[in-house]
Amino acid sequence: MAGPVLQMRDIVKTFPGVRALDGASISVSEGEIHGLVGENGAGKSTVIKVLAGVYGADSGSVTLDGQPLTAITPANVHDAGIRFIHQDLHLVPHFTVTESVFMGQEVAGRFGLSKRQMRNMAERFFREVLDIEIGCGRLIRDLTTAERKLVQIARALIDDKARLVVFDEPTAPLAIGEIEKVFAAIRRLKAQGIAMIYVSHYLSEITEICDRVTVFRNGKDVAVFDKISDDSAEDIIKAMVGRELGQLYPNRTHAAGEPLLSVRGLSDGNRFFDVDLTLRRGEILGIAGLIGSGREELVDTLYGLRKAKSGTIELADLPLKLSKPADAVGKGVVLVPRDRRGDGLVLAMNVMENINLASLEEVSKLGWEMRGAARKRAEKLIGDLDIRPTNPDAIGQTLSGGNQQKVVLGRWLAIDARVFILDEPTAGVDVGAKVEIYQLIEDLAAKGAGIVVSSSDPGELIGLCDRILVMMRGRINHEIGTQGLSIDQLVAMTTGAADFSTAGGTARSAHAG
Amino acid sequence: MWGIVKAVAVGTLVSTAFVATAQADGHLSLEGKRIGVAVVGTQHFWDREAFTGAIETVEKLGGEVVQVDGGRDNQVHADNHDVLLANEVDAVISILGDAAVEPKFEALKNAGIPVFTVDHPSPHAINNTTSDNYYMGTTIGRYMADAIGGSGKVAVFNAFEGALRICGIRTGLWKYVLSDYPEIEILQPELAEEFANAPEDARKQTLDLLSQYPEGTIDAIHVGCWDQPAIGVVQALEEAGRTDVVVTALDGGPDTLEIMAEEGSPFVANVAQQPRLIGSTSAMNVARHFAGETLLPQTYVDVVPVNGAEEAKAAYQNLGYGTLE
Amino acid sequence: MPDSVATRPGGFDLRRAVGMAPVAIFVAMLIYIGFNAPNFLTWSTIQLVLSQSVPVVVVCLGLSVVVMAGGDDVVSGGIDLSVPATAILCAGIIAQQVTLAEQPLFLAAMLAFGAALIVGALNGFLVTRIGMTPLLTSLAMFVAVVGVNNVITASRRIDIDAPLILFLRDDRIVGLPAGVAIALVLCVVFVFAIHHTKWGLNLQAVGGSREAAEVSGLRPSHFLFWSFVIAAFAGFLASFFVLARGSGSSPGTEDNLLLEMVLATFLGASFSPRRVVTVWGAVLGAVLVAALSIGFKSMGVNVFWTGLIKGSLILIVVALGAASQRMR
Repeated sequence: MAGPVLQMRDIVKTFPGVRALDGASISVSEGEIHGLVGENGAGKSTVIKVLAGVYGADSGSVTLDGQPLTAITPANVHDAGIRFIHQDLHLVPHFTVTESVFMGQEVAGRFGLSKRQMRNMAERFFREVLDIEIGCGRLIRDLTTAERKLVQIARALIDDKARLVVFDEPTAPLAIGEIEKVFAAIRRLKAQGIAMIYVSHYLSEITEICDRVTVFRNGKDVAVFDKISDDSAEDIIKAMVGRELGQLYPNRTHAAGEPLLSVRGLSDGNRFFDVDLTLRRGEILGIAGLIGSGREELVDTLYGLRKAKSGTIELADLPLKLSKPADAVGKGVVLVPRDRRGDGLVLAMNVMENINLASLEEVSKLGWEMRGAARKRAEKLIGDLDIRPTNPDAIGQTLSGGNQQKVVLGRWLAIDARVFILDEPTAGVDVGAKVEIYQLIEDLAAKGAGIVVSSSDPGELIGLCDRILVMMRGRINHEIGTQGLSIDQLVAMTTGAADFSTAGGTARSAHAG
Repeated sequence: MWGIVKAVAVGTLVSTAFVATAQADGHLSLEGKRIGVAVVGTQHFWDREAFTGAIETVEKLGGEVVQVDGGRDNQVHADNHDVLLANEVDAVISILGDAAVEPKFEALKNAGIPVFTVDHPSPHAINNTTSDNYYMGTTIGRYMADAIGGSGKVAVFNAFEGALRICGIRTGLWKYVLSDYPEIEILQPELAEEFANAPEDARKQTLDLLSQYPEGTIDAIHVGCWDQPAIGVVQALEEAGRTDVVVTALDGGPDTLEIMAEEGSPFVANVAQQPRLIGSTSAMNVARHFAGETLLPQTYVDVVPVNGAEEAKAAYQNLGYGTLE
Repeated sequence: MPDSVATRPGGFDLRRAVGMAPVAIFVAMLIYIGFNAPNFLTWSTIQLVLSQSVPVVVVCLGLSVVVMAGGDDVVSGGIDLSVPATAILCAGIIAQQVTLAEQPLFLAAMLAFGAALIVGALNGFLVTRIGMTPLLTSLAMFVAVVGVNNVITASRRIDIDAPLILFLRDDRIVGLPAGVAIALVLCVVFVFAIHHTKWGLNLQAVGGSREAAEVSGLRPSHFLFWSFVIAAFAGFLASFFVLARGSGSSPGTEDNLLLEMVLATFLGASFSPRRVVTVWGAVLGAVLVAALSIGFKSMGVNVFWTGLIKGSLILIVVALGAASQRMR
């Protein structure tokens, strides 16, 4: 084997206030599938964007086949044979397979497009390179997700000039049965000598398909594994996490009481299946799972934003029929959504209006808002929650992420809710505000509310919750108490590594609640 | 022609005249004939009345109607004649429309289909049925001059005198009458009303005009060719609290007759047309043509001069619009 | 293992049936008219349908290009309502110049062409550079352009008897009315340019998914800008057919043209197998709407009912199209 196809050395990239890459390196050889892993914010996507020419690096070098790449622009990188398979499919739903494969690189003859030639080329590529029959005249919207992924791969490789292909979470949108199709295609490419970088959170897949793995942490490569087996997962996780829980989390004063919310056999027929869960009074229940695991969809369904195909949701033995969020609010179930700016906060309204949004009926008489009562209540909550600025007339848009989140929480405190569903409650919030929000959650539970926290931060789940449900590919794979649970173990479960190694082997038997 | 016009008085006489004609034409029939009726639009009262009059009469005479509506688009109206041509109707009654229809009339004529027009003189038509615009212009001139005592200043809405022949006749003859009143002055420049949204446009223009001519410096406002703008003019006078200005206009649809009938209305004179009778007359003319009678190129249908509130009430009733108190 | 992939129902395919329904309804409607209206299913009526649909067909060419470049979301996607106004403006300029200013037709046409380019470029600039939504931009442009035309023609009708216009109106080419034959050529050119060239396919990609196009190295704003210019050019071309149809320029023609253009273009999407706006779909839509209108007229349907019947029928067809799309 000759020298590495790609070598990125000591890449540094800073953004205002953040050192995203702090001397990161990675090297990939011909015919190698090279895994790139790390926690959120470790610098994986930044290094990929440097390679793609989206960001310019502050320092460091990139060589391709031993030749330094100097002017790294998207066009140059493409010409050099580096291709990116983005997590998003980026396909036009009403285009045919052939049209999609050749999008932006159409073959034209003397008299317009050479449609027949393009179709022949696409068919040959799928047959000979990917070894699959797909039907090149079919429309993208009629394909399965895996087939779309293959179309996306074909688009990157159809010109036969690819040297290095970067996959970003290629299996994220796929169902279990579909993954093998994509893996088969990736292995075919490997056999043809193409170098590949495989970025993923799914450690089970990383250990299955990758030849070598580089682990990023805090903008640096902290470990490179040259021999990968199923047992590697544990070591990889250790390298990824490399830290202990800090003193972010409040002391627990709450205690679980009688069941409040029980879900039986809930499915939406698409993204999650057969979910059972019980939430008790005064309990904080965590839901873990990677993007695409069905976690977000489950949470939305609990709140009535999505429709369930089957299953029941009962609130203190009262069957709930949720078809819209207002139904949930009326029963004392409230959601603090993950996208505050989109779903939670009316950005153009001021703090007072936002806080009173869900409880307008209480502060209005005959349809008229009573400004005095509304203001009083807003001022009290601003004090309780330590929202800054303390001015109830401040416009939502101008608040920091943490304070926006407190306003959204405050809105629900204004009505006496029994069940809180918090979706990524601290995403984009600074540490100081995080501590306050955690305390607020703890207080709510101590007062007897049942709280569901859905989060992608394993530390947060362990620090805050009594119990954690781990979702993977639409199902609850593990249910585990947090006492004595380490981040490594939880990560192993969410990434699927636990199903292969011993790290989470005892997880199922751990006590619940 | 003039003789007939002078002989016709207001009200009852008009309707008896129609009844008399109908009786005299009892032998007419359109049995077994398919008659195309094309109208430029059905949104306006006048157009709709003429259209309905033509259709009802064709059906009453035993004919079959093929109706087409241009939706107030002159080009669609013109195109509709092609449909009637392809349909091989026996005759076409075409109501209003601009010059876009002329080639279509010619094509119909060449195909042996006789064309009868309403308010649209054409060399390719057998006959055009219309109101007596000459009488309308002179009558409204005399009424207005009388209303201001033969002297004073008059503003006129006159956008169409140069564009449409019938407006040329109406406004031209109104001016012809006024030329015998040296004490009456027509304010310059003349006002130009909009066709679409006429009442509101005229209201605004009148308010501007009134601020320019304070109390005592203007005596009348006349709308030269129709009466929709007069609705806005009356509104503006009421808003400005001006009682020193009289309003006159032409056409006499039910909406303006109602305004005239109100007590102390500034709208003092009008000349009402009989659009339904016009449409009906055109249909009768088709039957006369098929009966072998020779038609004159123009048939004038009587108009109803309306001078003051009492005559407005009478005309409203006699024209079949209902009763006013 | 859950099968999360939607399976295709065997045997009777409801989705396909709903998808075919619009075509079926139109065919049934036309057959019904054929039985009830004398002379409807004759070559002369078919020619009449084609002739009368020509101005709408040509403006539809323009609109369909913009919709394809901007995406077919009526509110946020690509739409150009100003095309009929551009057509009327160009007709007004040509009639005014030829008949009143006594300029040669070629010169008048150049002037109109320049005006159309300005309208198209302005639309494109406002949408791609200033970031206004196409719906609002082109609606405002429609009003403004009609206003300019009112100034130029003083809101009057202007006759025109230039030989080219009379040729389009009265003559025939290989057995077809001249206007129809020339419009047919225009349609072929547009279909080829949009559906059979690299540039056209890229334009469709931009409308289909802006992100996907960007990832493929295409510049969405470039295509959107030129689509507006092309649409204005279609408006310019349509002006000749408008002049031929009315033997001159008449005020007030733009409203009906606008309505029929939007209807035909989006109706056309119901006829396309992919359920998207296409050039040929829009053309077919325009011809079918004209056929329906003429059919109702030939049947002697009461004019006060035609609008309602036509409107309901189109609503049903469009709703079925949307339903079949939702069923995926």
